[in-house]
Parts: sequence; C-alpha cells; structure tokens
Amino acid sequence: MKSIHDQVQEEFARLQTRKHFLRNCSMGLAGVWLGERSVAADPDGTQSDAADAGQSIPHFSPRAKRVIFLHMAGSPSQLELFDYKPELQKLDGQDCPASFLEGKRFAFIQGVPKMLGPQYPFQQCGQSGAWVSDRMPEFQSVVDRVCFVKSMHTSQFNHGPAQLLLHTGNQNLGSASFGAWTMYGLGSESENLPGFIVLVSGGKTPSAGKSVWGSGFLPSVYQGVQCRSKGDPVLYLSNPEGVSLQQRRRALDAIGRINQQTFNETGDPEVLTRISQYEMAFRMQTHATEAFDLRQEDKATHALYGTEPGKESFANNCLLARRLAERGVRFIQLFHWGWDSHGAAESEALNGGFKTRCEEVDRPIAALLNDLGQRGLLEDTLVVWGGEFGRTPMRENRGGREMRFVGRDHNPGAFTMWMAGGGIKPGISYGETDEIGYEAIENKVSPHDLHATLLHLLGIDHKRLTYMHQGLPQRLSNVTQPSRVIEDIMA
Amino acid sequence: MSTALGRRRPLRPNLTRNRFAGTIARREGGLLGGMRPVAKSLLSDRIANPHRKDDRIHWLIGIFLLVGFSCGSDVVQAERPIDFNKQIRPILTQHCTSCHGGVKQAGDLSFVYADKVLPPDGWVIEPGDPDASILIERVKSDDPDERMPPPHEHPDPLSPGEIELLERWIREGAKWGGLWSLEPLQPATIAAGSDGSNWPRQPLDGRVLERLKSQGLSPSPEADPEEWLRRVSFDLIGLPPSMDRIASFRTELNRAVDASSREQVYVREVDRLLGSERFGERWASVWMDLARYADSKGFEKDPHRDMWPYRDWLIRAFNDDMPYDEFTIRQLAGDLLEQPTPDDLIATAFHRNTQTNTEGGTDDEEFRVAALIDRINTTWTVWQATTFGCVQCHSHPYDAFKHEEYYACMAIMNDTLDADLPSDYPTLKIPDDPARLAAAVEVQRTYQRRRDERNQLGSELAGKVAWSPLVPSNASSTEGALRIEDDRVRTAGGTFPPGVRYTVQADAPPLTALRIEILPASDNPANWPEQGSVLSQLKLSVEKADGTVIPVPIADVFADALTGPEDPRSSLDKDAAGVGGYPKLYRPRWAVFVLRDRLVPEAFGPGAVLRLEMLQSNSVAGNLATPIRHFRWQVCDEAAWTELIASKALADATEALEQAKQAAAKVRGADLPVMQQRQAAVGRATRQFIRGNWLDRGEEIPPGIPTVFDTEQTVRNRLDFARWIVSRDNPLAARVWVNRIWAQLFGIGLVETLEDFGSSGTQPADRELLDHLALRLREQHRWQLKPLLRELVLSSVYRQTSAAPESLREHDPRNRLLARGPRTRLTAEMIRDQALSVAGLLENRLGGPSVMPPQPDGVWQTVYSGAQWKTPEGADRYRRALYTYWRRTSPYPSFLMFDAPTRDLCSARRIATNTPLQALVTLNDPVYVECGRALATRATELSAADDSADVADAIEWMYWAVTQRPPGQLEIDELTQLYHDLREDPSGDAARGGIALDALAIVANTILNLDRAVTK
Repeated sequence: MKSIHDQVQEEFARLQTRKHFLRNCSMGLAGVWLGERSVAADPDGTQSDAADAGQSIPHFSPRAKRVIFLHMAGSPSQLELFDYKPELQKLDGQDCPASFLEGKRFAFIQGVPKMLGPQYPFQQCGQSGAWVSDRMPEFQSVVDRVCFVKSMHTSQFNHGPAQLLLHTGNQNLGSASFGAWTMYGLGSESENLPGFIVLVSGGKTPSAGKSVWGSGFLPSVYQGVQCRSKGDPVLYLSNPEGVSLQQRRRALDAIGRINQQTFNETGDPEVLTRISQYEMAFRMQTHATEAFDLRQEDKATHALYGTEPGKESFANNCLLARRLAERGVRFIQLFHWGWDSHGAAESEALNGGFKTRCEEVDRPIAALLNDLGQRGLLEDTLVVWGGEFGRTPMRENRGGREMRFVGRDHNPGAFTMWMAGGGIKPGISYGETDEIGYEAIENKVSPHDLHATLLHLLGIDHKRLTYMHQGLPQRLSNVTQPSRVIEDIMA
Repeated sequence: MSTALGRRRPLRPNLTRNRFAGTIARREGGLLGGMRPVAKSLLSDRIANPHRKDDRIHWLIGIFLLVGFSCGSDVVQAERPIDFNKQIRPILTQHCTSCHGGVKQAGDLSFVYADKVLPPDGWVIEPGDPDASILIERVKSDDPDERMPPPHEHPDPLSPGEIELLERWIREGAKWGGLWSLEPLQPATIAAGSDGSNWPRQPLDGRVLERLKSQGLSPSPEADPEEWLRRVSFDLIGLPPSMDRIASFRTELNRAVDASSREQVYVREVDRLLGSERFGERWASVWMDLARYADSKGFEKDPHRDMWPYRDWLIRAFNDDMPYDEFTIRQLAGDLLEQPTPDDLIATAFHRNTQTNTEGGTDDEEFRVAALIDRINTTWTVWQATTFGCVQCHSHPYDAFKHEEYYACMAIMNDTLDADLPSDYPTLKIPDDPARLAAAVEVQRTYQRRRDERNQLGSELAGKVAWSPLVPSNASSTEGALRIEDDRVRTAGGTFPPGVRYTVQADAPPLTALRIEILPASDNPANWPEQGSVLSQLKLSVEKADGTVIPVPIADVFADALTGPEDPRSSLDKDAAGVGGYPKLYRPRWAVFVLRDRLVPEAFGPGAVLRLEMLQSNSVAGNLATPIRHFRWQVCDEAAWTELIASKALADATEALEQAKQAAAKVRGADLPVMQQRQAAVGRATRQFIRGNWLDRGEEIPPGIPTVFDTEQTVRNRLDFARWIVSRDNPLAARVWVNRIWAQLFGIGLVETLEDFGSSGTQPADRELLDHLALRLREQHRWQLKPLLRELVLSSVYRQTSAAPESLREHDPRNRLLARGPRTRLTAEMIRDQALSVAGLLENRLGGPSVMPPQPDGVWQTVYSGAQWKTPEGADRYRRALYTYWRRTSPYPSFLMFDAPTRDLCSARRIATNTPLQALVTLNDPVYVECGRALATRATELSAADDSADVADAIEWMYWAVTQRPPGQLEIDELTQLYHDLREDPSGDAARGGIALDALAIVANTILNLDRAVTK
C-alpha cells in the first residue's frame, strides 16, 4: 500500500520506461512540448490512479481549445468604459458618505474623498444594447460578440498581489499561472512552438513580475515563454552570427548521431528525449521566426489592426496572437501596461494617459475579434479581457489633498471583465454593481469563479486538475477558497 | 563474518568533532576509521549547546553496524507484523482523512490523531477484534447509506486487500504509529551480504546490496575512473576536472600496485576536491535555493538589495565545514547569541531574504506578516520538510499539527525589528575588505548600544516618577476634527493628511516634564496593530490671557523604547521622524519631553494656558499619513527630570552617542539586512489568524513548538527554537539534511519529496539507510558535511557505472534500488560553469558583489524602476553562475530555462526538465558561442594542432576536456567530418594557421551540446 503521492510518482516512472518512450516518442515533463497530456491525481482520492485521471482529461467536451488573455495591467476604470453609472454623475464633487469608507482599505485614498462622476459619455451599442463609453469607438461595433461580466471582485487592492490572484489563484507568490495549469492539463497543440506564449507591451512587465506567467509549484516546463516583437521573438532563437541554417542543421545531425551512440552505451532514455528536443528547437527556429514575421500580413490586415511591423505595440501583439492561435499555440497571454489611472501625473490620469491607452487598444481588440471571427477561430478560442481590480467611484486624494489631474484609486470591490469566443454566450451582460459601481452586488464573480469557468470551457473540471504541493492537492481555483462555474455565461 | 567487517575498523567513541576546515587533514586508516580527535572549539559549544553534558557517547548506542544477517525474503516479510506507517496510514490518508482528518473531523472522528480512533475515546476500532470494529463493518458494508467511504462521492470501495490489511492490523492489536519521520532515528541493523562478496566498502553498500539481492539484482560494474571523476568533481565542486587532473589521476592509478594503493588514489582525489575553495561555491548555491537568495527586494519595483555578504558567508561556512548545528543556529538566531561575532550577524540575513514590498499604497503590516509567514514556512521546509504552511489556516489535514501551533511558532519569530520598510531597516554595513569587518561591525553595534543607553536614562526614570493627567480644555486640528474625552483626545472624522497639526490647550499645574501616550484608536487589542501614529514635532508654549504666546523650550526627549533608526529628539525639529509607532502602531507607545526649566503656568498670570502644537508630517510609502488618532498627555513636576538633563551621566551618554554615531556613519560598504530583536517592553503580541486571515485575529498565542514533538526543552525565542531543531529531540533535521545531500549526488532523494516528510510526501525508498546516514552525519561526523560526502562518493554504490542494460532500466527506471550509478543532468549553474571552465575563461575569484554577465537586451523591464543590467568588461563577465545578479522578477533567463527557481520563495527541489529552449540556450546564447570559440582556440594551442591534418587531435582534446572521456571512433568521425563539412561551406570564414577557427568553434559548440556534456 502506498501513498497517493507514491502512486503518482510510480505511474510517472512507468511512463518513463523505454518501451513507453519508443511507442510514443514524447514523455515525462518534456511531453508537454509535444502535445502529451499530463497526469493528475484527484484531490478526493476517488481516482488515485494517475493514468486514469490523466486519460480522463478533458473531463467533458471542450468548448475552447485555446485562450487569448488580454490583461490590462494597472487596471482600467470600469466607470469610464463599460459600467455606466448615471447616479454617480449626480454625486460628482460631493463628500464621500462615511458608510462607503467604513471598514475599507485603500491604497492611496485618505480620510474623506470626493465622489467622481463618469468622465466620458456612454452610449448603447449593437443589438445587445451594451453600454460603452466613447473611449472605445471601434469596440462599440463588436459588442455583440462579447459577454460582459460587470460583477468581478477580488480580495486584493495592490497590483502585485491582485495580478497574482487573477493569474495564479493566489495573491502570494509561488502558485502556478492559469497558462501553466492549462499546459499541465492539456499540453500543447503545436509541435513547433511553445504552447504558452506571453507578449508584453507598454514597455514594462506587469507589477507582479514574471510570476504571473510562471509555473509556481508546477515543474518549470509549464511556464510561459515570453516572446518579443523586437529582437529574437524567443530568447536565443537566432543562430549566432556566422552560423548558417545549413551549418546548424549539419551540427544538429552530428549531435543527434553522437547522442544516439550515447543512448546505445548508457541506455538512458533521457538521451532520446534530448535528441527530440534538439530537433524541436531546430523546427522552432524556423517556425517561430515565421510565426512572428508580421510582414507576411497584407495591407488590409495592417490597416485593420493598426499594426506596424518591427514596433513593440499592443496592436502588433494582437495580430501576433491571431497568428499564434492559427498555429496551435494553446495559451497566449498579452499584457498591456499603463492603466493605473490614479491622477498623480498626466501619464496616469483619466484625463491623460488613460485616453492614450484606450486609443492603443481599441482598434486592435476590435480587429482581433473580427479577424478571429472571420477565420472561424473565435469558435474555439476564448478571448478574455480585463484588469486585476477596479477603480473607486471616489476621486483619489493622494496625501489627503485634491490632485492636479483626475484619477481613481484601486477598488477590489467591483470591476468589469469581458469574454468572447469558445463557448461564451455572446451579446450578454452578467452581474451588476451597486448604483455607483463601487461593489458588485448581483451574481458576483471572483477570480476563482473565473478560473473554474474558463477551465470548464477548456474541458477541465477545476476540482480535478490538481498537483500535490505543500501536502495539498493544489488547483488553479484555490482549494482554500469557494469557487463555482458560471453556467449562465456559457453558450 | 563478511569481508566487509574485516574492512571496518573498530569504532571508538569519537568525543570530538573533526575540524575539516579548509585543508583536509591527512588521516590514517581506512574509510571509516581514523577520524582524528581534535579539540572541539569553544565557539561551537557556545553556539550549539551551552550546557552540553560531558557524556558524548549517546550516539554509540546501536551503531554497531554490521550486525548479523537479516532475512530479506518476501515470505518472511509477509509474516512480519503490520507496519502502521507503511501499510495502514496510506490507506487512511487516501480514503479517510479528507473527511476524517485534521481539518474536517466528520463525526468527531479523525484518522490523524490516535486518540480519536482508539479506545477509550475513539469508537471505531476494537483492538484485537476486527469483527467488533465499526471501521471494518462500515468499509465492508453493502448498504450505500452505511458504506465508507460514501459511495455517492467515492464510487470505489476499499479493495479486498486493503480491508484485509486493516483487519489484520486490528487483530494484531491496532498498534498506532506516529509519523515515521517523527520517530527517533533508528540505528541500522545492516547486513553486509552473506556471500563473502567484497563489493561493500561501507555499511551503506551492504544495505544496498542486501536490497538488490532480495530483488534478484546485482550491482553494476564500477565506473571508469573518468566517469567517476566527472561525477565526483561536479558533485563536490560543481566543475569538471581539468585535463591536467584527468591526466594525473590516470597516471597515479596506473602507478598503483594493488587495490589498496589504488583506493588511496581515489581518497586523495576526494580530499583534494573537499579542500578546494570551489567546494563552498558549489554547496552555497544549493543552499541559496533554500534561502531564497536574491539580489533584489521583490514585488513590483523589485529594487536592489545588498545581499551578497550573506552568500559569501555561506561559501565560507561550507568551505570551513561549519557543522550543521552551528550553521543552523547562526542563521536562525545568530543575533541572539552571547557576544555575536560579525559572521553570526551576517548569517541572520538568511531570514532577511524575504521580500519587501515597496509598491506605493501597500500596507506594511500585511507584507511584514507575509514575510513572517514565509520565514515560518521556510524554516519548516528547510529543516523539517514539513508542510507547515498548511497549518496557517487550519489544523493539518493529514499530520498532527494543530492550527494554534502555527501561531506558537509565529510568536517565536515575531520578535524582530524589520517592518517591510523600503530601507530594509535594520541593516548592517559590511565593508568590502574583510580585514575591516570586525571593527566596522563593532562600531555599528556600539552605536546601537549607545542609543539604547542614552534613551534608557530617561525611559527608566519615567517609570519611577508620578504622572498626573493633563486635561485639555481645547483641541483643534488644521484638518479633520478632534474630540476630547476626559483626559484623552480622539480623531472625530475628516482627513488627516501628512502635515496635519493639532493644537491642544490645557490648564496645567507646574511641571518639569510632559509625557504623551499615543494610543490605538481601538480599545480592543485584537484589532491591533493599526496604521502608524507619529508625533513628528512638538512645540510647547504658554498662551497668556491676552493672547500673547511665550515659547517654552524643551531640553530632551526619551521614548519608551527605540524601534526604528530615529532619535526621539528628532521630534524637536521639523523632520518627519519623531516618536510613536512607525510604520505601525502595535500597542500604546509613549515619550517623555523634558523641559529646560521648570514651568509654572500660573506665573504668567490668570488665564494662562499650556499650549501644545503637535505636527504630524510623517507618512509611509504612497504618501499615506501616520496621524495620531488617540492620545493623552500627562505631566510630572518632579525635580528628577531637571536633575537628569543637568547630570554628568546624561552629558556623558550624549557625548558617547555622538561619537559612536559619527564613527558608524563613516563605515562604508554593503548594506546587509539582518535580524535584530525588538525590545520586549514594546514587543508584538501574536494572535491566531482565524482561518489564516491576518485581519481576523483570535486569541493571543504564546511561543512554543508543536506538541507532536516530544521534548522537555522550553522554546521561547529563536535561539531556543534553533537549538531545539538541531537537538536530538528533533529527528527531522538530520534526516532532512542527509536526504538533501543524497539527492544532490544521486539525483533523487531517499525520500523523493525533499520538501515533505509528512503523510502526503513519499515514503523513504529505504528508511533504514536514511536513518543510518542521518546518524552518521549527526553523531559520527558531528554534523559535518565533508566527512559524510567523503564516505558517500567513495562508496561502492556511488562508484557504479551509470550505464545500464534495458532489463535493469525496465525493472527500476528511476534507479530507486541503486543497482547502477546516478546519471543526472547538470544544474543551470554547472552548465554555465563547465562551459567557462573548459573554455579557459572562468574567473576564479571568490565572493564579492553580484555581477551581470551578458544577457539579451530588453529582459529587464520592471515597472517604476530605473535599474539597468550593465555588463562589465573583463573578468567579471566570466564569474561562476552563483555570482550572477539575481533579480526576483526577472532572473537570468538561461538559468530559468535550466530549472532554476525564481527564488521568490524557498525552493526545496529542482525538477530537471529537458526542453527545446534549453537546446537554444546552449546552441545560441552568446555566452556559449563565446565559450565554444575560446574552447576551439585553446584546443588548437594546447593540442599543438596547427594544420588541417591535426584537426582530429584538437577535436579529440575538446571532447576529452568537455566530457572527460576519450571519444569513440564514431564521435571522432562525426566531429571531424562535421569540421570538414563546415569548412567547405561557402559561408565559412577563411582558415587561420591552417585550421579554420570558425568551423572549429562550431564543432566546439557542438561538443558543448552533446548529451554527455550536459550530464554527469
């Protein structure tokens, strides 16, 4: 009789025997690169046989095969974009009632701030009649593809922890990201590209650093691979100066044959894995370079997205996201930095940098949704948009005083996210906030609920995709927190 | 008896620790004997056990290792009594504890605690009578309402085999066993094999051989000398042997006339490696994962932190073979030792590797608590391999740790001054020049002492004099509202930004001193701590009836205790610092303001009032104010105050402080965060966090260790705690450390889950072997690593070849039985170091600030940070991997690709992966391209190959240098042909001196990419 852990490990070991290897030339932790599914143990111990658990993924028929997650790092104001609050306009400039401040923790607001009405006009759009502000004119035309969730809420009001919570299910460092879990559960669809690719724009990585696409306690092979639109798209992708493709091929042939000899001498199956990984590296050199070459797109497409090849921009990353989705990349994570509209400086003010951010993302997002739709990719691609928390209906008063620019502080109580594509019911809005957009009050959705739901759409029961760590079968939806699958937003 | 016994020398009580420092003492005798007794230093006694008894032969009990022959046949094993831990606990953990465990205890039944299961209190088992036991009845039941586990949630019942085991166990008396890893270390009863085999060199070998035989297996042949040399060299110093070493090792072996002198060649090689300074670098890098070592503070801005003196301390500790008990105590509590040395203080930086959140608008207490929790979890992972983090929110689901016991441990560690401040206070300046270290640290400690001494003159007097309340007649604020309640004043709504000024007026009796009590807004201590509360500046005056204001001079200020870097006297100027609680108010705080002259307000005419202007300009990151929300003033009219400020004692203390301050200010060097004790008088209370929520605080919990550990030691503080960890009362420390060492050598621990020795971890592959090695380490080697490693790498088990036929790989794919030698991928650090080393580029300088070798542009893009990656010219480009600058939010990319952790948190185990990105690193990273070229250049020089005809010599040399093996014909043919093909390629460069270096450089890079190059 062995512990669950022992059994999993032994099963894992069995998978690594040479016979298994030769039958299926991908194995172990490397398997993820080649589309192998992982093993998983059931937390309740009802299905402790890892192989069975592994084979049962997907747990039910998947609605989406891949994810494009557009994270607006810093958190855009829901009150200036999608959560229309005429009541808040009426309170504009008045002292915030004490009842709104009791028991609340803020990042920068002190004492008694003033209420701040919506800074931009809203209008109803599309057949669904969704309210969208004039900051997103192009997006107004695609609202019928989208499901808004206006009742998002989180427990964290600082960027780093809130981003970690949104991406790893835990506000503290050390847990695995959504993308890493997806790779762990589903593996890659692409034999030539990493399965989990991260693209960053705005000149900065997110506040929580690279942990938001890290593998945490999962083996490091599941971490996201940050790719760049400038320089090598994947680090170390290019052959060194003076080494031609032919020379590289020739050297790899030598490596392969010598390694085969090493395998013959040692019998170590890791050697065979290494041979196949070197081959994949070679393929990746060609395919990743091709995948990231935006010059291959026609003029019309560039016009649609507003892209300029060679630049680091959110628009370029959106177009890359579509190209990667086409090539079977499982999880594509975009971060666009600069949404932290406190009003402490023009660049981070609702009447300053916020407008620029909106202009940077509006057209590319609309283009991405339309483009995916036209190519039939939206059916099995989940597109997710949002920040890590919302913003206060009060005007920020940093240092307890009125500031020169207009801004809002962090608000964990309410924010808006939207989703589109694979299995999402289009043209609806789910959940409500109170009349000033301060707290989610109806059909509240936590990051854990979001994770449970998105995994569900990928065909995964969030309670059954687990990994033993710190004595617990850990999961993305966080074993210590309640979570539910939001059926109402599924098509 | 066996020949192995003949090999063994009689074991003597080894009363002293062998000092294995630096150079290896020549020792006579065989592998096991002859540890020459050397006087144990007083220093180690002072640290490890201040009251050590003379009796040091305790360890001898049962260490007569090679006793008898133990039968390994399955038949006999089947008749052995049930082993609760091996056979029963896993069934309970798998099927029962999710509902009847430490968290959920459905029906008040918990299979974690024996008393909840067995009579008299337990009700499900009748020992000796399975048929009368409800447990058996329920697991066997066909009735879906009765059966356990309940069929609707758990469709699969227990298997007949499992039920039979449970029945047998109950029949045999239902003997409960504590968790295996918490049981005392068991001296081994290791057989040496019965067939007279001379394979075993040590008891370890005998044990492995016995197990192999029971499986019908036999050991693999001994590895070629070069295979062993490569393995042992990486394992001990993290670098491959040089060509010279290989040659001389070979020569010496060839010269050896018999087995014994041949053995001596191996022994000498090991001793040489153990004596190398590179040893400390290699093992420091192992510990740095555990210590979550990084050169930055973490979180959003992730700013720089001077942490490298701690890394250098680690290197010294490993090179000096500091015993693990001292190593432990210094890191956890070096500051609490009597007369701590500079190194003792540097060691405490271990727990200052926690992250500091400098993001604006963050709650310093939230992240101080996060760091504290990290310290607790890290301590329990590193030394105890216990998933103690579980207990943060509730009692442990599988193991017998109770929720409150987590907070008892927190109470032990909640005593330090650090408070998530951007400055990382408290820090210690470490001069670059080690020769100045002792003096520099002494100067800083003197400054600390002088500060306390001066302040105590006033704080002690404050406790001896009588104070009477000063009842305000009026209290107003420049912003927000105040309310007077008797002698107290509270805030009453509004905003109190930095710079807010309160004015308090009161009819005052004659006075020589005033005392402010800064109180938490909440009267309920469970709501503490609160936001900081700081009086930045006090201005005192008398306001006459006609409105005239006459300033009253204040001579001095004394605080209840010093909890930050500021001088209480800063509250006399406009500086933001002052007195009170900063950045948090943990409890009421007070400070005394002594008047220059006794004040008699009445003397200023009728209606004259005392007027106190209280400026509060301090704030925490994000410009968040630290206003006083609740306070009262008291007055004292005793002459003692006036006498104090006129006293020579105070004048002397002031002068001494001033001198010490100036001297301390002159110290230049790294600003290393260290542990420093908060004064008990203003200590923090530790409360249980309800369901782990740090804002929901329950009962106050005193310090202590979990009751599952059987000890009579009282554990009140970090020093007690550290001493307990490495005491004999704690069986985990030795098991866990020896298991880590084993995993470094064999690629996989005897307990595979290096981080978890609990019910949820893996069972030991061989518990007797683990205990045997743990006892060797703790008792025989007195916690010293080098002699243990010496044994391990010279063992027959370690010396087997790693090549194995398919049948053996099928039988034991992961080499748990050890019928072959270990074959593992090099670590991220080793891969870099090997490339630099064979290329002749490696800069061997020991220690110093971290360096920034080449990395691709644009990898550092951290928010709100101007930090830049600046690659140096010259030798600092070529330092060993462990000196590479480690920024948490953006670690060196090629290390991450080879499975290095981010070091955000303690990382107990690296799982080696095998990915295409790794191939891209060693093929294309400019570091490896440069190494390839340097290797090729070196090969042409050293092999004296100067035209194309000799190129095979150069290639052979490179292959040797990288893999320590002679290339076979296939390798030579392939690589030589590769060279010629590359050369013929039209894009190849012109030849130099007959040999085309560009082509040869690609061949060199190819060799660096071979499986044999990235494997040991």
